[in-house]
Amino acid sequence: MLLQAGFRDVAVREKFDTFRGTSKERIARKYGVTGVNVFARKA
Amino acid sequence: MAVACPIDLDTRKLRDEIRSIYARVASDPAGEFHFHRGPNYAAEFLRYDRAALAQLPAESTAAFAGVANPHRIAPIEEGSTVVDIGCGAGMDLLLAAKSAGPRGRAIGIDMTESMAEKARASARAAGLDNVEVRLGDAMSLPLEDSSADVVISNGVLNLTSDKSVAFGEVFRVLKPGGRFLYADIVVANELSESIRKDVDLWTG
Repeated sequence: MLLQAGFRDVAVREKFDTFRGTSKERIARKYGVTGVNVFARKA
Repeated sequence: MAVACPIDLDTRKLRDEIRSIYARVASDPAGEFHFHRGPNYAAEFLRYDRAALAQLPAESTAAFAGVANPHRIAPIEEGSTVVDIGCGAGMDLLLAAKSAGPRGRAIGIDMTESMAEKARASARAAGLDNVEVRLGDAMSLPLEDSSADVVISNGVLNLTSDKSVAFGEVFRVLKPGGRFLYADIVVANELSESIRKDVDLWTG
């Protein structure tokens, strides 16, 4: 989607277990929901 | 991540629910929510610099509800104009303002009035006069074209009903060569239609 918007150099830099310990932890694990840091640049 | 809402998702209800939840976070950050908040969570789960957070007004850090950490993606240079989409109570915004320094600017955008007011008050309390907070929506940013060196956002664009519009807005307001330091959640597995229509889950 970022590439489609025109961004370049798109890269996932880091992931986080954001929902660990919350009431949504089980559903987050089921669907593979994680926090991410993403870099993108406008050409 | 779904690109757009299912056709029959009530997007007005979604916006109202988001406003309601984050107004509640602003007024009662220690209340019951299905996501973490606060500076300890930020430091322990998202690797924020605990010492840097301790220097910010507690009002701005207590209501923090981000999902990742844009400040670890790339440095924000002194003199930059930085935009924080969905700035909430201002924790990321104030960190960005400190990085940008007195020659730079940090502009926060939030659609929840109580959060925007908290961010303004926190900027005043921190003595940061390079901060401005505007009421606005990620799908229609109140900003000029090609006006930002850096855009940050943390756990907000996943709440929008059409990601392609939201990313298009980020692209529009960035200067050529500008950087998007994007923190959010992603979904690895395909979601069922019933899950995608569930407003409670969209607002999480």
